[in-house]
Amino acid sequence: MNHQPFETWLLDDKVLTPTEKRDLDAHLRTCKTCSIIAETGLTLRSARSVTPTPGFALRFQQRLAAQKVAERRRRLWGLIVLTMSAAGLIGLFVFPYIAAFVSAPVEWLTTLLGYFLFVFTSIQAIGEVAGVFARMLPNFLPPYAWMVILSGLAGLGLLWTVSIWRFARRPQGVTA
Amino acid sequence: MNEEQTWVLQAQRGDDEAFTRLVETYQTPVFNLCYRMLGEPELAEDAAQETFLRAYQHLHRYDLKRPFATWLLSIAAHYCIDRLRRRKFSMFSMDAEDDEGNSIELPDVDAPNPEKESIKGQMQERIQGMLKDLDTTDRAAIIMRYWYDYSEKEIAESLNLTVSAVKSRLHRARKELAGMWQEEEEDDLLAEMERRHHESPAF
Repeated sequence: MNHQPFETWLLDDKVLTPTEKRDLDAHLRTCKTCSIIAETGLTLRSARSVTPTPGFALRFQQRLAAQKVAERRRRLWGLIVLTMSAAGLIGLFVFPYIAAFVSAPVEWLTTLLGYFLFVFTSIQAIGEVAGVFARMLPNFLPPYAWMVILSGLAGLGLLWTVSIWRFARRPQGVTA
Repeated sequence: MNEEQTWVLQAQRGDDEAFTRLVETYQTPVFNLCYRMLGEPELAEDAAQETFLRAYQHLHRYDLKRPFATWLLSIAAHYCIDRLRRRKFSMFSMDAEDDEGNSIELPDVDAPNPEKESIKGQMQERIQGMLKDLDTTDRAAIIMRYWYDYSEKEIAESLNLTVSAVKSRLHRARKELAGMWQEEEEDDLLAEMERRHHESPAF
């Protein structure tokens, strides 16, 4: 038998039959390449595990505690920066209105009242239109269409709930 | 449910004591993998700590049906591969050396025959030195195969490879290691001949 199958057996760690093993042993006595492959394999198999220095778990606990503190600090700073930015932005947009309100309060109150009146009448109008549709639609839509619509709405609700749950869930490493 | 799974479940519910028990159980395999991958005890310690930290942070993603050791070693292997890739272009020594550049002897708990153990130690050092020349993924595959007796399927799952890719990587890596081994032996032989030549009474 030529060299190649023996090399492949050794490199692939093939499980050998007694006959194959005998052939391989005979080949190893004459082939330097294969005996080196076999020697490398034996050394790899006899390789020892290296252990960490004592106190590894304790050092991990300290690192974990430091990580939690750093994470909390990062969150706190994030919150402070966000709050300050939001307050600054709101102040920037609201300041001209406040200044105008302070200079002419009656005009502002009239505008605000008109706005609320507009919102109220709009809601009333939308309600009436919805009521008309609700009275008309059952005559046009068959029951299965209602089932499809309701299932779709339920699916959207579920999707929304799952999304909120996933966003709200905090990774384990950052809990206090 | 075995004890390990109970610890994992408790740790998933936020029990840090349970996670510490997992750290104590798996510190040696994780550290050994990191040491074999990175070659320096300090780097291995840091990588092993980081592995456990990542495992802690992503414990909610762990599937209880999968062996915990495989999941953990997979995190360690990926971390070491990433770290080596990031450092690819910077020069660094893979030999276990102290600050003065002397080789550190790895602790040997029970060494009945000092001479035999010394030869064994030299072999281990040589293997460690050769591992550094392998491709990082090939190195991880070799370590999982020979230090942890992982099957090709388990290696494939841990390293996100196909079984056939693992087979060919192991084959290639073993061949490379044998080539390096042969070169080292030839170098040793040449050095020995040179030493004898200089020690000869004629000089």
